[in-house]
Parts: sequence; C-alpha cells; structure tokens
Amino acid sequence: MPTPALRPCSSPDRDAMTDAPAPFLSLAGVSKRYGGVRALANVDFTCRQGSIHAVLGENGAGKSTLIKIIAGVVQPDEGSITLDRRTVAFPTPQAANEAGIVCIFQELSLMPDLSVADNIGITAPPRRFGLIDRRAQRRRAEELLARVGCEDINPLMHVRQLPLSRRQMVEIAKALGRNPKLLILDEATSALTAADVEKVYAILHGLRDAGLSLLYISHRMHEIEALADTASVFRNGQHIDTFAKGARTDEQIVQMMIGREWRNVYPPKPQRSAPPAPALELRDIGWENRLHGVSLSVGKGEIVGLGGLDGQGQRELLLALFGVLRGVSGETTVNGTRRRIGSPAQAKRAAVGMALIPEDRKTEGLMLPMSVRDNISIAALGAMTRGIVVDRAQEVQKIDAIVAKLKIKFGQLTDPVATLSGGNQQKVVIAKWLLTGARIVLLNDPTRGIDVGTKQEIYQLLRDLADAGTAILFYSTDYDELIGCCDRVLILYDGRVVRALEGSDITEANIIASSLNLTLNAADHAASATAR
Amino acid sequence: MNLRNSIDRPTLIASSFIVVILLAGTLYTIVTQGTATFIEPTYLLQQIKIAAFLGIVAAGMMMVILLGHIDLSVPWTIAATAMLATAVGGAWAVPVGLAVGLAVGLANGLGVAFLRVPAMIFTLGVNAVLRGLMVMLTGGFAPQSNATPLMVWLATGHPLGIANSVIVWVLISAALVFMLTRTPLGRYIYATGNREAATYLSGINTRLVLIGGFVICSLSASLSGLLIAGYTSKAFQAMGDAYLLPAIAAVVVGGTNILGGQGRYTGTVVGTILIVLLQSVLSVAQMPEAGRQVIYGLVIIVMLLVYGRSSTLRG
Repeated sequence: MPTPALRPCSSPDRDAMTDAPAPFLSLAGVSKRYGGVRALANVDFTCRQGSIHAVLGENGAGKSTLIKIIAGVVQPDEGSITLDRRTVAFPTPQAANEAGIVCIFQELSLMPDLSVADNIGITAPPRRFGLIDRRAQRRRAEELLARVGCEDINPLMHVRQLPLSRRQMVEIAKALGRNPKLLILDEATSALTAADVEKVYAILHGLRDAGLSLLYISHRMHEIEALADTASVFRNGQHIDTFAKGARTDEQIVQMMIGREWRNVYPPKPQRSAPPAPALELRDIGWENRLHGVSLSVGKGEIVGLGGLDGQGQRELLLALFGVLRGVSGETTVNGTRRRIGSPAQAKRAAVGMALIPEDRKTEGLMLPMSVRDNISIAALGAMTRGIVVDRAQEVQKIDAIVAKLKIKFGQLTDPVATLSGGNQQKVVIAKWLLTGARIVLLNDPTRGIDVGTKQEIYQLLRDLADAGTAILFYSTDYDELIGCCDRVLILYDGRVVRALEGSDITEANIIASSLNLTLNAADHAASATAR
Repeated sequence: MNLRNSIDRPTLIASSFIVVILLAGTLYTIVTQGTATFIEPTYLLQQIKIAAFLGIVAAGMMMVILLGHIDLSVPWTIAATAMLATAVGGAWAVPVGLAVGLAVGLANGLGVAFLRVPAMIFTLGVNAVLRGLMVMLTGGFAPQSNATPLMVWLATGHPLGIANSVIVWVLISAALVFMLTRTPLGRYIYATGNREAATYLSGINTRLVLIGGFVICSLSASLSGLLIAGYTSKAFQAMGDAYLLPAIAAVVVGGTNILGGQGRYTGTVVGTILIVLLQSVLSVAQMPEAGRQVIYGLVIIVMLLVYGRSSTLRG
C-alpha cells in the first residue's frame, strides 16, 4: 500500500492547461542527486487523467530519473508526490504498482525462458488451492493479448521464441493486466514494426479515452505528434516547459532542449583547403537489423564524430569495424586496400593499425585487479619481446614514456588499475592503444563518467593525434563534445547515416534535429549535405 | 617488481599451516607412540616424492583455474594415458601417453573456447567418454600390461640422489614459472582469467590462450599418469580418481582465485605439499577414516574462508 507521508497535502501547481480536470499525479519540488551529479532539480510536474503526456529531453536530461521516481524505483531526495489528491511516497516499485502506476520500460522485463502466459501473470498469478491455476492464467493471457490485438500469439510459447516486436506487445499486454491508472511507456515502441505501432496507437488512444493517464517517453518526434496531447521538455534535470500539442514549433522545442551554455574547452580545429586523404572508408556496412548500408570515410588527421540518440547503431558500427560482430556485410578499406577484419586481433595488426576505446572501461577496457603496467602493455606485448620473453626493460621504458605523455597519475606501476580514478583509468585504456601505434582510433563514448579536467586533456590528446595523422572516429552521447571536437559529425538514426554536418553546420540545433530525423527550416541548414 | 619478489599472503599462510600440521602430528605421535616420525628427513623426502605426482597434476590444473575454468577430465586423462602407454609398450609408450594428453587438452580447449560449453560440463563429459573408451578397450578387466622400464625409471630412479619424479616436478615448475612471469602467454593467461572481454578487445586471441591452458593441463595430467604407472609399475582403472579433488584443493589452498585471474605458482607448490602432508599425517596418526575426511574437508574450507575474507577486505 502507498504510505501517506506526514506532511499536509500541497496544492499542486497548475500548468498551462488550467481549465483541465484536476491533475491525477503531481510532483512538487522533487530533486534527486546521484553522488555529485544532479539528476533532477526542484521539478514540478503534473499529469492529468484522460491524457497522453509526452516527456522530451536530451540524453541525461532527467527523464529516466523522473520516471523512476514516479515508479518507486528510486527515492527523491526532496519534494512530494501527490496522487489523486493524496500525498504519497513509493518506497518500492510494488507500492507504486499497487497505487495503479505501471511502467513499460525500454529494456524488456520479460523472462525469455518462461511462457507468454507465465510472464503476463508473473506478479499476481491466479491461484487455486494455493497453487498457480495454469488454466485461468492462460485464459487471462489470451484475453489480454486479444486486447492488444495479438490473438496470434500462443500464450504457451516461450518468450524466447518470439521476435522482438512481438515481445514488446506481450510487454504491453502484461502491463494492461495490472489494471494501470497511470501507464508509463519508456521508449516502449522502439522495436515495434509499423503495423504494431498502429495497433499500439489505437490501444493507447483507447486507454486515454477510458480515462487513464499516460506518460510517453520517446525520441521519435513524429510519434509524439501522432500520440500526445500534452508535452513537457526537460533539460539538465530541470522541467523547462509544458505545453499543449501544437502550441510550440519544432524549432522552439529543439531550442528548449538545448539551452545550455557552451564552454570553450576544446582545442581549435584546423582549417583545411582540401579534404584529407581517406584512411578508413566504409561501404554499405550492414549488420542484422541494427545497421543498414552505412557508408562513410575518415581522412588522415580528421576527427569524425558519430552522433544521434542512444542506440541508433553507433556502438554496433564501431564494434563491426573492429571485427567483434559476426555476419557484418559491406566493405572496409584501409589506406586504399580492402581489408577483411574478423577479430580485434586482425584489426590491431600493423597493416590495419586500428584501435578501439570501448564503451565500458571497467568490463571491456581493463582487467581491474591487474597492475597498471600489465594493463598498459597488454595490447602491444607481442611487439615487446626478445624471442619468447617479454623485454621488461623495453616494456618499462615505453610505459614510462606514454605515462608521461598522457599524465597518468597513480602510485606505482604494480598497483591494481582498479585503484585509479575514472579519468586515469580511461587514460590507461588510451595508453594501451597508443603503444600499439594505431593510426585509426575508434572511440565509444570515451568521456562518460570522467571529470571535466581529464575530459579537456582527452580532447587535446585527440586533436594532437589527429594533427599527427591519425584518423579518429568518435562516438559521443554528449552533443557539446561532438561540436567542440569534430571536423565532421555524422548523425545516425535507426542504423543509417541520415545526415553529415561539417564546419559551421555542426550546431546543437542541427544535431538534435537530425537525431530526431527532423528537417528544420532555418536557412543555414540548406547547405548541409545529406549523406545516405 | 617488489610485490613480485615478496611472498604473498596465501603462500605464507599455507606454509605456516604446514608447520602446524607437522608439529601437531609430531606431538600426537610422541604422546601415543613415543616417536617423532613426521620430522624425520626420510619421512619428509618420501612425502615430497609422493607429492610430485599430485604436484604435476596441480601445476596443469592451476593454468586452467587461472583462466577461470576447471578441468574435471583429469582422472581419466591419467588413467587413459597410463593404460594406453602400457598397452603400447616399448619406446612408443611415453610419446603415445603424452599424445593422449595433447588430444584431451585440444578437445577440452576447443569445446570451451569455440563451442562455449561451460568447462565444468564439457570436461566432465570428456572424462566419461574417456572412461567408456578405456572400458571398451580393456573389456572391463584390469589391463595386464606393465609399465616400461623408462616409465619406472622416470618415477623411481634416483641417479642424482633425488627421485626422478621430483626432478620432473621441479623442471615442470620452472618452465611454468618462466611461462607465467616472463612470456606474453603468461600475461595473457592472467588477463583472460581476469576479464576475457577486455583481453579479447585488446586484440588478443583469447581462444588460443584458452586452448593453450587446457593443453598444458591435460599434458601435465598425462605426464603424471606415466609417472604413477611407473611408480606402481602398472596401469589400473581407478588410478586417477585420487588426484582430481586434491589437485583442485592444492591450487586453491595455494591462493589461486577459483574464479581465475589471480594466483602465484609458488602457492600451488606449497598447497600440494600441504595437501599431501595433511593426508599422510592423518593416516599415519591412525585416525579413523571418517574423522580424517572431516578434518581434511574442514582444513580446506577454513583456509578458503581466511583467503576470501582477506581479499574482500583488500577489495
């Protein structure tokens, strides 16, 4: 049961829609910090019954935290939540569930090795004599699947056997089975096929007309336009504005989503008269249904950014290039010679000279319990031997040089790399690859969770490497970084390069608009080419 | 460097425990029998000789455990090696025996590295297959053939004053220490055991490293099988059964992390001696079998608790 808090009911503040019925859910002065990071700051937010309310914002704007607080997954540091005129607190997701708040998350919550019926009934299976009544459970699953228009799904099938789009429909059926009063959809339609999207729209409109309150989070602007009647924009943990559908133009919305001051922490970009000779060229790279015909080229000494919203294929593209993924189609050309790269070992060899700074340094970049020395030298160890023996003198000498160059701070070379700060750990990963003499460097969001000072050093280092002729392909979830660091920025959407931005066209407005696959009408966009 | 030269904690604890075992055993024999058997040099030398067989198995097992895997096919790798080597006889006995180890190691390595079957399951299966094959070969009876003179000489000869089996153990140990500390392969074994994904993404062929580890393990088991057959002068079906769990215990008691990535070879040597002495002291002390098993098990559990605690404190 939701526990009523002791403080008196605060009257929820009204937004632009004051003539609407009283808000169903309202948050007043809600704040949340994670360590030193402010995820939500003094947020007031309301949503009404019989409404589909879209929540918009960049990566890290605070949307997920907002939802987690409403769903009882995390607790706010300050502020109060009012549900149906009563002040409530949700110490657990179950408490929120019992109050009628149900979430459909982006990451599917289904157990792949249980049947569809088991999954739908997992929280409160129908019981008979204390045991699960499997027949009743199956009937209930059939009813719910029929409600979402998926009569074709056999409730006895294992979820594993269903394609991703069907699983998402099962997820929606499961959520409906909990009789929600407030339904939260977090990117819940990202894997649906076009036909299913239509069905989901119809279901959601039906739910709205039945008086439910729906919160809808999506990065797809056209979906929001088709579905929502109200929208709220978040930025940097703050609630910027809430408005009715059609009250703001796309340009205004994008402007609201940016609105951040730009600090001059980036090294100057070189002026080029002619495009540089290509070091890495890709043609028609495809992989499963995550990458579709990606073609691009990175010149010697050029920093090319990969932009777009999370999960549009940027990570997969870097992994495909580095030989990690199986079944990649298309051609990779390095310095004019076509290469087949089937493993990181092949990507590393001298003829290719590729390096990948992976996304998660703790699991993919480092062997945390091993020493700083072992971690720095591991990739280049094969080239530091005399016969079959590691040449320790040469090893230490090379490590000392790279440590000095990158200003890596640690106690002793034999200390476990786990004892270093996040920024220094990331420098160790970069040092490891610089020792191999890589001439093509792929970076997968390298500055995540790193302090500002180290970030600046990494930006400078990337520019220095580029000036020395290294080709750099750089995925970042931080638009600021793409604008400040990159000579060109390619925007990926749904596994395709939808736009190439260059020079003065690399603006936050352009990046966000292209990320949402919108075309803005401002004049300076006319010049930018569309790479396809 | 200075960390490498200092003796690490598990080795220190295991070493002091050896002293404790010997002192407790001696106290017991002085009180009950009026002798101090356990601190006589002849007794200790005899124990080292026996420890060589287990030590060689444990040496190989350590490579697999460092990789974060396990090899449960050791018992029948030992038995199959001994049976085939004695059956072939003559000059080919030793090469055939080692070829068995190579084949088993390759099979295990391929299964774990390419088919990605959990090592615990795959090597258990290989163990059963080997047993079946050997029963088929011998028709279910104990093989009649005897160990070749070379095998007997390797196990029991002592031209240098020390049993050859101990010299083999020392040579294998020296080679593995060299490999682990001085060659890229050694570094890759630790790296793979710590975080295979990060090692693979560093452009290292981790599959080859895994196969290498399993091959070393099975070759060591084979070598031990040849020596045991030479020592007992014949091969028999259950000859490897007594080596699997003690070998794993020796590696883990020696401070190697059962989850892989951490551990020093000296620890495995000390762990082997500890296990052999513990078994011997308990049996010489004429403790009833049931009590021996209880103490043996408790010692291993307590030592692992001590290490587990210290490593969480450090982490």
